[in-house]
Formats: sequence, C-alpha cells, structure tokens
Amino acid sequence: MNRDNQVLELLSAWEDTYKKGQLTLWIFLSLKDGNKYVDEIKSFVEEQSNQTMSCESQSLYRNLRKYQHIGVVDFETGEGNKGPERKYYFLTALGKELLNQFVSRNINLFFNPKIKHLLNQED
Amino acid sequence: MKLITSNLLKFAICFALGSILFRFGLSWSITNHAVFEMWIIAILYFFLNAGIGWFFGKKDYESFPLNDIGFRFHLVTYVVFNIIWELWFLFGLQSREENGNFAPQIAFFWGIFLLIHFIIYLFNRKNTIKGIDKSEIFE
Repeated sequence: MNRDNQVLELLSAWEDTYKKGQLTLWIFLSLKDGNKYVDEIKSFVEEQSNQTMSCESQSLYRNLRKYQHIGVVDFETGEGNKGPERKYYFLTALGKELLNQFVSRNINLFFNPKIKHLLNQED
Repeated sequence: MKLITSNLLKFAICFALGSILFRFGLSWSITNHAVFEMWIIAILYFFLNAGIGWFFGKKDYESFPLNDIGFRFHLVTYVVFNIIWELWFLFGLQSREENGNFAPQIAFFWGIFLLIHFIIYLFNRKNTIKGIDKSEIFE
C-alpha cells in the first residue's frame, strides 16, 4: 500500500469516529442561523460542512424529536411551498444556552493562539 | 410523548389475536389429548409473539428511544394475556377436561417478574434525561 492510500484509509477511519456526535453541533448551528424546516437544516449542514457531513431526513427528524422532547428545540408551523404546512424548528432559550456552553468549553479551545498556530503550521 | 404509541397498539392487537388463537388451540388439544400438537402450538405461540414484540419494539425504539419501551411492552403483554385468559373461563370456552382456572396463579407469578422488571426500569432511569438514555440523546 503506498503512502497516499495509507493516509486516505487512516483519514477515513479517523473521520468516521470524529464525525460521530458532530451532527448535534451542526443541527444547532443551522438553527442558530435562523428557523428552518428539515430540508433547510439538511442543506445547511451539507453545504457549511463542505459536504463532509451528510444526514438523512429520517435521521434529522429522529434527532429533532429527541431535542424537542428534552426542551432544547421547538417548532412552529408555517406555510409550505404549495404543499402541507411545514414545521420550522428553532432553538429554545435552553438550547441556546446549551450551545453557547458547549462551544465555549469545546470549540473555543481551537481559537487559542497557540493551538491556532499549531493547526496552521505545516511540517 | 405518548405512552401508548401506534407500534405498542399494533403489538397489543397482534398479541391479542395470537393469544385467542393460542387459547383455541390449547382447548382443542386438551379435549383431544393431542399432547404433541399442544407443545407445537405453545412453542409457535411463544416464538411468534417474541418475534412480533421484537419487531414492533424495535420500530418504536427507532422512532423514539424512550428507555421504558421494554417495560411498556411487557406490561401490555401481561395485561392482554391475563384478560384473555380470564374471559376464556368467564365465557366457559375452556376444554371440558381443564381442571380449574390457573389464571390467578399465572397472573401472580408473572406479576412478580413484572415487578422486578419495573424495579430494573426505575433503577435505569437515573441514566436518563426525560426518559431518554443520556448516551442516546446526542448522536
């Protein structure tokens, strides 16, 4: 196996593990961007992650039902495009606070100058 | 979130129909001293109901992963089975050769297992937030 293939194989294995648990962050970010219905959330996640994250509508519905149940997400119905009414999801006050705390504890670390420098540095 | 979900309702209907057929088969096999057929009917009844319970339970969990699904399906199984068994004797549909109604004993001993299941469910609740296992909330 040449070096490029080895890197690709390892990268794929690492990314599979890394992406687990990221869908929540992407869904929350899409809702922070504004109220959205499921197809819009799906498009936001895929576009903003440069297609590195993909999600099925069924999986999104399942997750949104759970988030609504625990009170971090809610929805209001709005008119659909010629079709039935759509559910427009949004973050509740609890959801916003949860996202803020998660970001400050886990994401902002990467904006630390030393870490930022290391991330941009090429060997 | 509803406690009686559509999958639980479908399971209850299938289980009730299966239990009525089972009772018919049991009465028939006792009347005709068909011991082999009685075993076949009982084994089929057990595996068929375990299968439909697993099928609808899995669908229910995939739809919404509440941690009390197992207990709710068990409770419905207990209630439906004992109601059908009691009604069978109430309407005199049992075999002439059946000596006595064992429904109270079945309900009692099965009830002990149901109670144990309930205690396990209560114990596991500490790992949940609003009924969803903490490890299942954020994927």
